[in-house]
Amino acid sequence: MIGAGRSNTLLVARREYAEKVHSRAFAVATAILIVVAIGAALIPIGLRALDRGSLTRIGVVSGDPAVSERVIGLVSAYLNPVPAGVDPATVRPHYVLSAEASRETALAAVRTGHLESVLEVTIRPQGGLDFVFHGNDGPTSATIQRLEVATFGAAVVEYSDGLDHSASGPAFHVPAFDVAPTGGLTTVAIDPATSGSRTLLASVLIVLIFLTLTIYGMWVASSVAAEKASRVMELLISAATPRQLLIGKVVGVGGAGLSQYLAILIPAAIVLALQDPIATALIGPAGPGEAPLVGLTGQILVAFGLFFLLGFLLYAFVYAAAGSLVSRPEDIQQLALPLSFVSMAGYFATIFAMTAINSHWVAVLSFVPFFSPYVMLARVMLGHVEPWEVGLSLGLLIVAIAGSAWLAARIYGAGVLLYGQRPGVRTFVRVALRPNGG
Amino acid sequence: MTLVIDGVTKRYGPVVALDSVGFEVEQGQVFGFLGANGAGKTTTMRIILDILRPDAGQVTWAGQPTAQLDRSTFGYLPEERGLYPRMRVLDQLVFFASLYGIPSGQARRDALGWLERFRAPGLAERRADELSKGNQQKVQFIAAILHDPQVVLMDEPFTGLDPLNVALLREALLELAGRGRTLLISTHQMELAETLTDSIAIIDRGRLVTSGPTREVRRRAGRSIVRLAVAGDRELAWAASLAGVRQARAGLDVTELTLEVGVDPQSILHAVLDRGAAVTCFEVADPSLEEVFIELVGPAGAVAQADRGASDPAPELGSAA
Repeated sequence: MIGAGRSNTLLVARREYAEKVHSRAFAVATAILIVVAIGAALIPIGLRALDRGSLTRIGVVSGDPAVSERVIGLVSAYLNPVPAGVDPATVRPHYVLSAEASRETALAAVRTGHLESVLEVTIRPQGGLDFVFHGNDGPTSATIQRLEVATFGAAVVEYSDGLDHSASGPAFHVPAFDVAPTGGLTTVAIDPATSGSRTLLASVLIVLIFLTLTIYGMWVASSVAAEKASRVMELLISAATPRQLLIGKVVGVGGAGLSQYLAILIPAAIVLALQDPIATALIGPAGPGEAPLVGLTGQILVAFGLFFLLGFLLYAFVYAAAGSLVSRPEDIQQLALPLSFVSMAGYFATIFAMTAINSHWVAVLSFVPFFSPYVMLARVMLGHVEPWEVGLSLGLLIVAIAGSAWLAARIYGAGVLLYGQRPGVRTFVRVALRPNGG
Repeated sequence: MTLVIDGVTKRYGPVVALDSVGFEVEQGQVFGFLGANGAGKTTTMRIILDILRPDAGQVTWAGQPTAQLDRSTFGYLPEERGLYPRMRVLDQLVFFASLYGIPSGQARRDALGWLERFRAPGLAERRADELSKGNQQKVQFIAAILHDPQVVLMDEPFTGLDPLNVALLREALLELAGRGRTLLISTHQMELAETLTDSIAIIDRGRLVTSGPTREVRRRAGRSIVRLAVAGDRELAWAASLAGVRQARAGLDVTELTLEVGVDPQSILHAVLDRGAAVTCFEVADPSLEEVFIELVGPAGAVAQADRGASDPAPELGSAA
C-alpha cells in the first residue's frame, strides 16, 4: 500500500536513534571508547618518549686511550645531535659511549647487560683506523648505519690531525667497518623510521572499522529481532512497508553509531591534530632523527569516513535481514556468526596485507565489496593507489549496497512474520529465494 | 462502501492456508470472523492489510484493491500483542499514529482522550513493560484505532480482559460502528460474537463454511431449540426419546431440547401434551452461535483447536497461519 513513504522511514529512524542514544549501555560504551581512542591517539607520543628514554650504551676499545677519547667525542657528537636553538644541557643523549680497557672486558660487559654493543678501533701500523662493531643490531639498524657514518668522520679527523703540513703524508685509508654479532642479549631499539606512526594509525583505524561494523551491525540485527520477539512488528508491518521499516532501522542505528563515532573521533582527532604541540609539552621538541608523529591527513579522514559509512550500510542491511529471521533475540548469534566471519576475514586479510601493501592480491581484495572498506583504506594510507582505483572500489561498494538492500527487503518482508524458524544460513537462503514461502 | 474478500487463495508450499475464501463486509458493520485457531483468520487479515499477497483472488475496499489504498485506511489489532517494552505508553501511541500520518499534537490529545475513556489516564507516562496484560491490551487497542481508520481489523480483541474492560471495549466498538467505521473481529467468544456482530463468517481449515447476517446464520442451521419445563418433573428423562429430538439437556429451570433438522417445534409440543404433562414453559429459539459453530466446524475443528492451543501459537513457515 502507499504510505507516507519518506516520512515513515524518518519516523522509524528517529525512534530507533532516540532509543539507542538514550540507553545507558550506549552512554557507558561511548565513554569507554572515548578514553580508549584518546589513549590510542597518544600512542605515537608514548612511543617517541619510550624511544627517547631508551639509552644505547656502546663501549669503545682501542690500543690507544687518546684515540679512544677522540673517537668517543666525535661519534657521540654525531649520534646525539642538538637541535638548533636548544640548550645542549637540556638534551638527554640517546647514545652513551665509554672507553673500555680491553675487548674482552667490554664483551663481558655486553654479556652482563652493562653495554649493548662494543666498537672496536684498530690502529693500523701504517696509519689509519679500522672498526669492528660487536653487537646484534641488524645491518639495517639505524644505530649501525649512523655509526658507520660517524666512524668514517672520526677516521677523517684522525687522518687530518696526523698530517704533516710540510710534507706529503700517507694516503687516506678508508676505514673498514665490520659487524660482528655478539650473540648476547641486546635491546632492540625502536626505529622511528620503520615503526612509522602511519602504520600505527592505519592499524587503529582498521581495528575501529572492524569493531564498529560488527557492533553496529549487531545493533541492527538485535533491534529487528527485539521488535519481532516483542511482537510489536505485527503492528509496525501493518502501518509501514517493510522497506520503510528496514531503511528507517538502518538509518536510525547508523545515525546512533555515527554519533558515537563522532563522540569518539572528535577528541581523538583533536589529540592527533595537536600531536606535535602535545608532544613538545609532554616530552620536549622533536629531534632531527625522529619521524614525524602524525600520519593523519584530510585525505585519510575522508577515505575513512566514506569507507566506514558505506561499509556500515553494506553490512547493516545483511544484519537486518538476519535479525528478521530469528524468533528470539538469543538466536541472532547463530545467524550473525557467518557474517562476522566475513568481516573478520576482511580484517585479518588487511592486517596481513599491511606487510605487503603493494602486492597483487591486496589490490584485488581492495575491490571486493565486503573487504574493500578495510583493504582499500589500508592501501590509501600505506600504499600507492590511483584515484580511479578508489573510485572503482567505492562504486562497486555502492552497487553491492543496493544489492544487499534489495535482498534484505525481500528477506525482511517475509522473515518478520515467520516464527519458529531454525536460525541458520539455510533459512536465510531459502527465504531469500522464496520470500512468499511458496 | 464494502470490504470485499473475493476468492482469496493462499498457499504455503503444499499447504493450502486459504482456499478461495470470499465474503463481504458492509460499511458500519461489526463483522465476526470465526474459526478455530489455524483456520486461516490471521492469514486472511494479513492479506486484507496487504502484509501478505494472495496467490489468487483479491481484496477491495470501496471498489479499490487494498494494495493500492493508503495504509491508514486500516487499523489492526494483532492477536499477538506487542509494544516497545521500554517506551512510554504515550510516546508509542504517538509514534504509531504518526506512522499513519497523524500530527503528533493531535495524536497526543486523542491518545489521552482514549486512555481517559478506558479509565486509565495514569498509563500515559508509564513504560509498556510496567503494565498489566489487560492494560497493555487497552494500549494496543488504542494504537489500532488512534488514526481513526475506516476499517478496523481485530484479532481476538477480548482475550485477557476482565468483564468490566470487556464492557468498555464493547461499548467502544459499537460506538466506532455507529460512526460508520467497519469492524472485522475474530473471536472465540461466541456469546460476545452473538450479541455484538451484525454478520459473521465461519472459516474452517482455510475454507469458508458459512457467512451472512448473524441471526440468519443461526436460523440457517435448520434446527430449533426448545426450552421446556413441566410441572412436577425436573428431569424430563423421557424427553430425549421423543421423535425428532436429537439431544436433551436438563438445566436448573428448563430442559433444552435440540431438534433434528426440519422438525417442527409444534410437533414436540403436541407430543409432550399427549403424554399428559402439564407444560409450564415452552420456548422456541434459534441455536446459539456456539452450537452452530460446533455443528459446522465439527469435532475435527474442535480437535484442531485443542491441538493448536497446546503448541506454539505462531505458525511455522509452510503451515497455515
